[in-house]
Amino acid sequence: MRVPINWLKEYVEFDATPEELADKLTFSGLEVEQIESLGAEYVLEIEVTPNRPDCLSIIGVAREVAALYESQLKWPDADFKEGSERVEALTSVELLDPAGCPRYTARVIDDIKITDSPGWMQERLTQCGVNPINNVVDITNYVMLECGQPMHAFDKKLLRGERIIVRPAAEGEKMATLDGVDREISPDMLMIADARKPVAVAGVMGGAGSEICGDTTTVLLESAYFEPTQNRKTSKMLGLVTESSYRFERGVDIGKVEWASRRAAYLLAEHAGGTVAQGVLDVYPEEAEERRASCRFAKIRELMGVAISNRRIVEILESLELTIEEQDEDSFIVAVPSFRVDLECERDMVEEIARIEGLDKVPDDRPRAEIVPNIDDSALRAVFECRNRLVGLGLIEVMNYSLVSSEIIRKFGFDEGSIVPLLNPISASQDVLRPALLPQMIETLGRNRAHQAAEAGLFEIGRVFRMDKDGKSRESDHLAVGLMGNVGRAIIDKRREAAPEEVFLWMKGIIEKLCSSLRVSNCLSVQKERPYFRAGCAVSVEINGVECGEMGVISLELSEALRVTEPMVVLEMQVKHLLQSVYTVPQARPIPIYPSIVRDVAIVIDDAVQSEQVTELIRKNAPPELTDVNVFDIYRGKGIRDGKRSIAYSLTYQSLERTLTDAEANEFHESIVTSLLKELDAEIRDKK
Amino acid sequence: MCRNRRADRRIMDMEVRAVKTMRPSEIAELMQKALVDCAGAASAEELEAARIKYLGRKGALPAIMKGLKDLDPSERAEAGKLANEFKKAVSAAIAEGKRSSGKTAPIPGRAPSFDHTLPGLWRGLGSRHPVSQVIEESVRIFSSLGFTIADGPDVETEYYNFDALNTPADHPSRDIQDTFWLKNGSLLRTQTSPVQIRVMEKQPPPVRIVAPGRCYRRDTSDATHSANFHQIEGLYVDATVSMTDLKSDITYFAQRMIGPDVKVRFRPHFFPFTEPSVEYDFSCHACDGDGCRICKKSGWIEISGAGMVNPKVLKSVGYDPEAVSGYAFGMGIERIAMIKYGINDIRMLYENDVRFLGQFV
Repeated sequence: MRVPINWLKEYVEFDATPEELADKLTFSGLEVEQIESLGAEYVLEIEVTPNRPDCLSIIGVAREVAALYESQLKWPDADFKEGSERVEALTSVELLDPAGCPRYTARVIDDIKITDSPGWMQERLTQCGVNPINNVVDITNYVMLECGQPMHAFDKKLLRGERIIVRPAAEGEKMATLDGVDREISPDMLMIADARKPVAVAGVMGGAGSEICGDTTTVLLESAYFEPTQNRKTSKMLGLVTESSYRFERGVDIGKVEWASRRAAYLLAEHAGGTVAQGVLDVYPEEAEERRASCRFAKIRELMGVAISNRRIVEILESLELTIEEQDEDSFIVAVPSFRVDLECERDMVEEIARIEGLDKVPDDRPRAEIVPNIDDSALRAVFECRNRLVGLGLIEVMNYSLVSSEIIRKFGFDEGSIVPLLNPISASQDVLRPALLPQMIETLGRNRAHQAAEAGLFEIGRVFRMDKDGKSRESDHLAVGLMGNVGRAIIDKRREAAPEEVFLWMKGIIEKLCSSLRVSNCLSVQKERPYFRAGCAVSVEINGVECGEMGVISLELSEALRVTEPMVVLEMQVKHLLQSVYTVPQARPIPIYPSIVRDVAIVIDDAVQSEQVTELIRKNAPPELTDVNVFDIYRGKGIRDGKRSIAYSLTYQSLERTLTDAEANEFHESIVTSLLKELDAEIRDKK
Repeated sequence: MCRNRRADRRIMDMEVRAVKTMRPSEIAELMQKALVDCAGAASAEELEAARIKYLGRKGALPAIMKGLKDLDPSERAEAGKLANEFKKAVSAAIAEGKRSSGKTAPIPGRAPSFDHTLPGLWRGLGSRHPVSQVIEESVRIFSSLGFTIADGPDVETEYYNFDALNTPADHPSRDIQDTFWLKNGSLLRTQTSPVQIRVMEKQPPPVRIVAPGRCYRRDTSDATHSANFHQIEGLYVDATVSMTDLKSDITYFAQRMIGPDVKVRFRPHFFPFTEPSVEYDFSCHACDGDGCRICKKSGWIEISGAGMVNPKVLKSVGYDPEAVSGYAFGMGIERIAMIKYGINDIRMLYENDVRFLGQFV
């Protein structure tokens, strides 16, 4: 709502600069978004919240100013000399839908001469963002801006049958609105019709067929109250929001419908040469009931937490033109004027009192700690543990949008039926909910590569969305980790290129460390084939025996598309499996008191044999004294035939009962190595 | 420094004349002297000084070796033997000296193989995303006031996001938030407030929860708006909860989150699910309220809305509005992160550039 300050001053006196006024309004609930200076005039741009349609007018704002500056509201002139002809002789109003239109008034003004409206009026309209058209249309707009009541002026000679009918649209009816659009109307919409056809969509826009034009001489002036909900529906169905519909759907002042008509007639008589017919047709079958709220002083103080006096409470409400009807020292009954459609009950009065008294009067230095017993939110806190451990492992946390492009998702080969699309996306780049974190993780790695980061170790914990068979969307929290390039290497070793296998093993190390710190067991098992993974370089991830994720090396095609030459390895898994034992408290076990003995063995095996097979065999044949097996070297090259590699293991022997002798350890080791070589058909790498 | 100079002086006292050739007896004598020096070295520095003096490149031993060829052949064999003995014995004495007194500490600037100026090699920590840091920090602060965490889905029903929050269809208050809809009639929550309803439906009062989460609005994104953003919802319902509690708890939060000097201001506003309703701003931390790019020169940054829970909302979950009252607030996490870390464009938070994120370790 745009409010020129000089116009405002016609209705209320106050002594304040535009800035001071703007501040005062903002801190009482009418937020002034900006002050525009137009020559000698300042115009306030006010954001009027949907509950305050009364402030969609200059007088409405003036009423607030009067309360804030303890001033009086001055109403403008609306008295004029009526003509001799009675309005009833000229037209009639038939109200067929009193629910949709509880009040309808019509006046007839004759002898109209269409000209431009006076300069001052045009100026004010322009300041408020309304284009001047001619004196009649400008006056209806002026009165709407002035008091908030939308009006419509018909050229009476273009109306048939000397009557106005307020009725629902008939099936299949059509009409052309003022903006020159032919519109389909439906029986849900309320129409203003003449004897033959609709001439306006009630409260939204007039029809082109009865528009004021240069040779208009007689005006039928409509001022009415249309029911907000239906009005909003109509405006939505037509996709048409006007100054008029905007006000009706929020609620105009049903008590001032007739006054507004009188005010407009006054201006038509003044500035359009009009003769106003005697009387007004005011169809108002059931007068709106006055709203009353019973309130308790103590409750108001309690809710505010402020010791405001009874006297001050009453004073504030009265300054807002509310009427205190009954009052004792505990409570009162307040009558709400018709323009305050937002006030219904005691709680609403608290807001009025708080905002006029000033929210700065409410103390802000009494924070309280209160415990609600027996509430356990540890499951929801667990994710913080997970995040902090990933940071401890050296990864940088990223956050991607939940909305992604369906085109990219399709490229990743997700099942179309499981994708959750938006009905009204803003753009094609964000038209579905993400079904997984990997596509964005890979993209993020690529984008960082484009910014000259040759390596990155990233993670994201976020929600993913899938459509189930019943068409319901299911959401769950996932973890994604992405590694690119030499991220796992020490700083002085960065030039040594990392093979995809090495990056994969860094990722494996991350998941292992994460899992052991979260007290779950993990295992990488069956190979996974995915369009985005390099064939044979991806596996599924199991936590405590349940498959809940996958990890692998990004395919060459995808890497190339992102122009990344460094190997990229990504992991994605469900978070809940990771967090199931976060709060398991580790119990102390005795540490061995007898020394351990370490023996090494390096064996040459086929590339096809996996390291884990070897360790499993070692363990299978081992005595209980074997407590640990570690790989400490892998070698290919000179001295080792092609297709083979040497893997060196260190085996730790220890007894819980006594000190092992070298001879015993050697014996254990000998026997393990012997059966290992036999079972694998392998040989020991020559020690030189 | 001081100590080194003293050590040097001691070595000087035991001056060895650099002679061109040394006879066997002289070598034996020098060896004795060297052994005494080594045994008597009081520190790693002195021991090292002795080593350099006798075994170093320009020390006594190379001089002896060099002089051997000039000796009379009759003495040369013995001198050679003694020179070897010299080397062995003095090396052993130095090693022994190191072992016995733990004098292995390297000498800064003296040992050529030790360079403490090379880059540190232990792998680094990662970093938390600023939004996730602010979420965890917020939860921690509210926990200290007795709040627990609650959660709700991102994909919501119209009922939880609007109807139960006193925002009926065909009411203009729905226009405040432009909503993303799914084809099945669900929507993406426009606020974290649906969690209020979900919690109150399950739990009788008192309720004291915070609910961090993602929200979605069909805003076109700019420096301060994003279609995807985070809020933390707060709800406190109990026998007598007042606006004083609301203002005090939010102000306490701001001071703990941003700093003791932050100012919080409350402006009356309208939300269908609170009455009275307020919007609140934090003073801009980046410019101390003087006005800068982040706060658009106003000195203040709008954080979000709050208010006293509308009795109609309490009624919709079966609470008795006469018996309990409550406050609720939403906080824009990104806005807080922007103030706290001096970030002037919300989009930076979702570009995931490691050069940006790496700053928040």
